[in-house]
Amino acid sequence: MMGEDREPSTGSPSGEAPGGTRAADGGAGTSGESDSAESTAADGTDGAENAPELLGEDLAIGYPTTEDPVVECETVAIPAGEITALVGPNGSGKSTLLKSMADQLAPERGRVLLDGADVQSFETKALARKLGLLSQQHNAPDSITVEDLAYHGRYPHRGFFESVTEADREAVDRAIDLAGVEHLRNAELGNLSGGQKQLAWIAMILAQDTDVLLLDEPTTFLDLHHQLRVMEVVRTLNREASVTVAIVLHDVGQAARFADNLIALKDGEPYDWGPPRDVLTEELLADVFHVEASVDVDSPGGPNIAPESPLNE
Amino acid sequence: MSDGSATRLAGSARSRLRSLFGNPLLTLCLSSTVIVVVAGVLQVSFGSYDTTIGQAVDAILDPTVVTDPRWVLKFLLGEGLMRSLTGFRGELPELATTTLIVWDIRIPRVLVAILVGMNLAVSGAIFQAITRNELASPFILGVSSGAGLTILLTLVVFSGLTAFLPLIASVGGGIAFLLVYAIAWQNGTSPVRLVLAGVIVGTVFNSLQTGLFFFAQDIAVVQSAIQWTTGSLVGADWEQVRMILPWTIVAVLLALVSSRQLNVLLLGERTASSLGMSVEKVRFALSGVAVLAAAASIAAAGIVGFVGLIVPHMVRNAVGSDYRRLMIGCVFVGPALVVVADVGARLGLQVLTGSVGQVPVGIVTGLIGGPYFLYLMRRQQQLGEI
Repeated sequence: MMGEDREPSTGSPSGEAPGGTRAADGGAGTSGESDSAESTAADGTDGAENAPELLGEDLAIGYPTTEDPVVECETVAIPAGEITALVGPNGSGKSTLLKSMADQLAPERGRVLLDGADVQSFETKALARKLGLLSQQHNAPDSITVEDLAYHGRYPHRGFFESVTEADREAVDRAIDLAGVEHLRNAELGNLSGGQKQLAWIAMILAQDTDVLLLDEPTTFLDLHHQLRVMEVVRTLNREASVTVAIVLHDVGQAARFADNLIALKDGEPYDWGPPRDVLTEELLADVFHVEASVDVDSPGGPNIAPESPLNE
Repeated sequence: MSDGSATRLAGSARSRLRSLFGNPLLTLCLSSTVIVVVAGVLQVSFGSYDTTIGQAVDAILDPTVVTDPRWVLKFLLGEGLMRSLTGFRGELPELATTTLIVWDIRIPRVLVAILVGMNLAVSGAIFQAITRNELASPFILGVSSGAGLTILLTLVVFSGLTAFLPLIASVGGGIAFLLVYAIAWQNGTSPVRLVLAGVIVGTVFNSLQTGLFFFAQDIAVVQSAIQWTTGSLVGADWEQVRMILPWTIVAVLLALVSSRQLNVLLLGERTASSLGMSVEKVRFALSGVAVLAAAASIAAAGIVGFVGLIVPHMVRNAVGSDYRRLMIGCVFVGPALVVVADVGARLGLQVLTGSVGQVPVGIVTGLIGGPYFLYLMRRQQQLGEI
């Protein structure tokens, strides 16, 4: 509840109501899970009781080379069993925030809690069994096959000398099936298109079999078909295995259609957060993205954005 | 039902085994073994005491040695250890002259060549994965310059310690490696910083090493220094085999069991780290294994260049970059290259000029390695990143 007492430094009027519920969710998560379980059940996702939530408290995150923190926020919550999209212009700190949430970048101040436990207190492999992060850029040798890559996702589940177990094999089969790359199983990565490669990486992170999934711009640079494929995989995983997902997306419209929540970042601080229909306003697009756009909130597939022209910054 | 799943399991284990030993790898290992055997027999047959190839093969398979564990133990463990193990007090049965020359002098040289090749290949393969750079060699992190400097220091300044040269050279290599790591460390390391630090330490140490040549009074000292710094197997003996065999076994086994860690490192630090790997710890430990292997080869043969750079390439070309296969291939191809190169080093001048002189094996590996690299450069579009 700490985050609720101190008002977030930024927060537009429209953000207060959903922001309040987010913070309440966060408080419930640390003390007991009943609240968040109820709220997700109400959203129509089932079996979310076991899904953990990720909560950032009083965060200031920077790099050794930067003087001022790149990201500063009082509270940021990735609610249990839901898909949360992080949106914002280039350089707004989305990736930085995600890295810190995954314990890949130690915050200068504050902490990140996974179901109430500080992520830094986890042993690295133990954390990787609960939380997976797919970075924006990744590279692999061209000669590695999709299946080999998926098996690397089992790394945190295997000891140093442990050979492949039946559980590993099942997880890899499931991941390859879910990512829809069964026909590419034995193909070498070097021979795949960008979209197919990305699905192979998705298969790897699915094989990691985590309860929380953080994806950094998984759809950027992909053609529309593969963008939708990736988003569909994420949605299926969230609906069927009630995995908690945080996803950085460049396309606000896509974020609005697929995510349960949006967190809009501006200059390293959350500008607004909540369900897309509440957050996505013409005002937000002007303030955060510097574009003039009209938003059709009542469109059946989620708020529909029609960008019109760039605004002077 | 359980029967069915058992056969399925056995079947999948078999198919995994087959995929692990997939045809190219098996071919590579078999042909390397054939090369080692043929070159080894040549090496054992010729020399100042000439035998025919048939005689040499007979001597290699001489039952007096091969079927007598006391002889084998004496060679592999040394006489003292053999006696205390077997409780044998008397004299060993006498050997025929050919057998004695073959077993006492020529076979150990081939064995040292095999072990040196194994160590260098494995070490190079590890460093290429750690730095994610195909141009990395066992000596990229300063090991050779550290060893070279301490070799020169010992020969020129502390000539009383010459008997400990192998040990001193390896320790020098190890210290240089730690220095490189310390320089590269800045809230952790990165492949690029490690390579840069290696260049820094290498430049300074090489200058000091070259400077020391001016203080050498004696041409013999200079020649000995050159032999050490280019790598030579002249005079390689059972003592060298005994010295590096245990370290080789340790290093090669560790390298083989670490192949999965190396594969994950190839996905990049970020991915490896988010998969739960403690990248810094793993990288340092693996560097340690690679330095151990390089140091063992330096202790036996000095600084043999190009092997650690070129062998992982040859293997990668044949089997791809999966380290589970690549490492096995390196264990076979490394020895093949060094044994062949050493035949050239020992017998080459004899064939070409009729003189009995030998050149350091490192010169031959360079002569083979350079053109092969040129061939790779022409064939492959991008050479560099794995």
